[in-house]
Amino acid sequence: MLKVDRRIFGNFDWVLLGIVCCLLVVALVNLYSAGYNQAEGQSVLYQKQFYWVLIGLALMAVTVSLDYRVIVEYAYIIHGIAFFLLALVLIIGTITHGSQRWLSMGAFSFQPSELVKLTMILALARFFSDRQIGETYGIRNLLMLFSIVAIPFALIVDQPDLGTALFLVLVSCSIVLFVGVKRRIILLFAAAGLVLAPLGWMFLRDYQKERVLSFLNPERDPLGSGYHIIQSIIAIGSGGFWGKGMMKGTQSRLRFLPEQQTDFVFSVYAEEWGFVGALVLVFLFLSLILWGIKVARGSRDLSGTVLAFGITMFLFWGVFVNIGMVLGILPVVGIPLPFLSYGGSSMIVIMTGMGLLMNVSMRRFMF
Amino acid sequence: MNRKEKKWYRFRLFTIAGFFSIFLCALVIRAFHLQIIKYESLKHYADEQQFCNILLPPERGLILDQNGQKLAATILADSVYVDPVMVKNREKTAEKIAYALDMKKADVMKKLSGPGRFSWIKRKITPPEAAAIKPLAADGVFLLQEPNRFYPQRELACHILGFVNIDSQGLEGLEFKYDNQLKGPLHTISWRRDAKGNRIYQAERAPVEQNDSVSNIILTIDSRIQFIAEQQLKDAVEANRAKGGSAIVMDPRTGEILALANYPFFNPNAFSKVSADERRNRAITDCFDPGSVFKPFVAAAALDDGVVKENDVFYCENGSYRVGDRVIHEAHMKRHQAMTLADIIKKSSNIGIAKVAQLLTKERFYEHLRELGFGEETGIDIPGEVPGFLRKPNTWRPVDFANMSFGQGISVTALQLATAMSAIANHGVMMKPHVVRAIVDSQGKVLEEFTPQVVRKVVSPVTAERVAVLMTSVVESQGGTGSRARITGVSVAGKTGTAQKFDFTEKAYSSQKVTASFMGFFPADEPQMVVLVIIDEPEINRWGGVAAAPTFKNISEQVLCRLDRNIEIKRVEKEAEVKKVTSRVARPDTADIMQAASTEIIPSYDPADTSLIPDFTGMSLRDVLALCRERGIKTRISGSGWAVNQEPEPGMPIDADRPCFILFGNAF
Repeated sequence: MLKVDRRIFGNFDWVLLGIVCCLLVVALVNLYSAGYNQAEGQSVLYQKQFYWVLIGLALMAVTVSLDYRVIVEYAYIIHGIAFFLLALVLIIGTITHGSQRWLSMGAFSFQPSELVKLTMILALARFFSDRQIGETYGIRNLLMLFSIVAIPFALIVDQPDLGTALFLVLVSCSIVLFVGVKRRIILLFAAAGLVLAPLGWMFLRDYQKERVLSFLNPERDPLGSGYHIIQSIIAIGSGGFWGKGMMKGTQSRLRFLPEQQTDFVFSVYAEEWGFVGALVLVFLFLSLILWGIKVARGSRDLSGTVLAFGITMFLFWGVFVNIGMVLGILPVVGIPLPFLSYGGSSMIVIMTGMGLLMNVSMRRFMF
Repeated sequence: MNRKEKKWYRFRLFTIAGFFSIFLCALVIRAFHLQIIKYESLKHYADEQQFCNILLPPERGLILDQNGQKLAATILADSVYVDPVMVKNREKTAEKIAYALDMKKADVMKKLSGPGRFSWIKRKITPPEAAAIKPLAADGVFLLQEPNRFYPQRELACHILGFVNIDSQGLEGLEFKYDNQLKGPLHTISWRRDAKGNRIYQAERAPVEQNDSVSNIILTIDSRIQFIAEQQLKDAVEANRAKGGSAIVMDPRTGEILALANYPFFNPNAFSKVSADERRNRAITDCFDPGSVFKPFVAAAALDDGVVKENDVFYCENGSYRVGDRVIHEAHMKRHQAMTLADIIKKSSNIGIAKVAQLLTKERFYEHLRELGFGEETGIDIPGEVPGFLRKPNTWRPVDFANMSFGQGISVTALQLATAMSAIANHGVMMKPHVVRAIVDSQGKVLEEFTPQVVRKVVSPVTAERVAVLMTSVVESQGGTGSRARITGVSVAGKTGTAQKFDFTEKAYSSQKVTASFMGFFPADEPQMVVLVIIDEPEINRWGGVAAAPTFKNISEQVLCRLDRNIEIKRVEKEAEVKKVTSRVARPDTADIMQAASTEIIPSYDPADTSLIPDFTGMSLRDVLALCRERGIKTRISGSGWAVNQEPEPGMPIDADRPCFILFGNAF
């Protein structure tokens, strides 16, 4: 399995690597700028993130060198490990900001909910690779499918981290719809969703309800739950067409922006680089996504297609939900912006994902 | 996969790619909306929350006297404010501040506990206080320099200037009237602040704009004359234990007010400690019955209408004149007999002037008073002027008409008197009184100039000069009531006044409370200055000729003496050297008057002394005989009419054996 076919290198996906590298450069420059503060000097975050990027690149290389079909073979086991880590978080996880999301490992802390995004895609790839497109599923298969998504969903909701949990549903639903299931089943799930939504509302915690209400009307409580989104909109809007220039974003310098290195990192970027910068960044993401779809299409087997498509979905929903959130067109949920947000877990996961995508891309001529 | 499936599969992928593109396009559209369309308003929000602004009072323009002396200026004063968040130990800090600024600790505590990040503690403190505050910066107590109004001459011209509040808004006087011209734009100090309200000192500050929109005001006031007037007035008021007073020095040719003093005055630098009584600009806001100073105006009206001449003789009813159901008396209960108009003015006969006024008729008299500006504002450029009170002639009873002729029953302001006097002094042409000469910008360019403005012609030039001659005799001739106003070397025209004040509690004219006044101008033949002195309720000397005339003299003398140092004054001096009044109206005793003026005052006799021969001039035969019988004087009478000459002279001791020859005639 470690035998490396020479054709792999002939088919090396330079375009994918190029786009990823562009995004990584933007990410590091932006973190450097976002962390800079006149009073306190340069924060060490961008340096840390630089190491995470290096680790990510290394993991990407490792992932590329393994045949994705082998990895998919072990997908259930990998997904099972992720279950275990999520369960562990609930027991010994570190509590920050009122939710238990982190596993402390000495100097580092790790977020299993990030990892599970990827392992779920792997598990789904495995699940669908066993079947043919258009096949009807029995109750056993449906239960299998349900448990791949529902178990991590439940564990993450319990942290609580509704955003990530819904993100899993979003990605998995996209994959299921893509692969194609009977109309009946879709209707069944949709009906269940409609019935469960009001029930779900009752189970939401107060702060989560606040967020949804604030999204619907940010001025409802400008200093409370609406504060983040208002400050983000002010930052982005005041950037104007050309932006305020690197390290000159006053909203972020003066700490009006919340979470400016993680969830709201795009606000810093758009404030400093303006509409032009935002356009360039969205264009980069769109290129990567469309490239991902091309990879999915090119794959010779269903597992590769589902894997590539799943990773592309992961990327797409991450970009859309995060930027939509900071632009004020989606509610505030804690979904990081792929590549740009500070965070080791998400960086490692996205880079591994890119490795898998490249993996599928390079092995499309192997059959 | 068969072909059909493949086609379907490819279609789905394209659809999905299309969806993704549309979704991401939505993000771009939203970014466009925020960054391009809503840019301006969001930028404004950002600046709003990132900058902390303090609005400071505007810098104010200068107020200068006619020689460029600063009467109101702007200096920078330190003010103390606190950032309550930075205060570590409130108790201790409050104690230190209270000690340094001489404040109550509880008050300081309240300010230290205030919400927000900015609170004034004390504004406009002294340099020693500032020095004591400086070390407290670490505790969040800071100093800030802000423009502060400062009146370097303290009380000088305070009633004209007015004052400003702590935010530099003009509240009274010229500061109020010309607030818009004097004040500049609000001065902003701003700095960037972060989300927690901490100051970012490194951030650039808004540049302090050069204040070009501030105008300076140049007055007609001469601060030297103003000073003299204020000091003399103060001395007079205090010496006479009076309630207050006003003095006005005016140039009759232009209407420019050279000095306008009131007592009590105040220090506008500390206006908050001043009572409303002290703040009042009495010269324009207080009305009073003018009393005898009014008589020259009656004479002017009568002469102008040609109903009377200087030498026309009026019988003064021996001191009691029945008008309607009332009896009019002379001041001092004097008993005058027959008097010419000249003597009526000179000796200030109430009955005489009442008879003169009657020749005019009510309506003409009223019209003349309106012409002279009584009953309406003079239009001076100081706010707060009142019009006085002049009733319509159809409401006058006969006694009101008579009273009014000697200045009782009519309300006037000091400024109205001075303005009317100026009209007489200026050949009958009334000039509008004003204190502002020009408004200039910071470079000295004239923005607005207030040139002398003619109000109207009040009397003919000839009449004006005839009145001047009448008034000159009041001061210069022997027996005139205003002899204490004489100035060596300069001929002075003037008139004394002692008016009974209307007592509002008693609803009657008080015999105790009076307004003593003196109104005059010099040089009498070519008047350059009108000076009016009003002393309100003097207790020591109640008579205008005693209480106010010396003040007139002192002010005038000092003004003449100080002004001879510069060019304009030389002209005054040159003209002041003129020793003779050249009158167009021939009067035999004019020369004598002037001689008397240039020599020392001849000791007068006391008319009440019964051992001396009295002055029979102007008396009727009956009165002469009655008086002679009273004093045991033998008489030899010749002629008929009124007494015109006598031998021996008045003031000689009565010799029981020697008869007194008295010549009677119909004219002098």
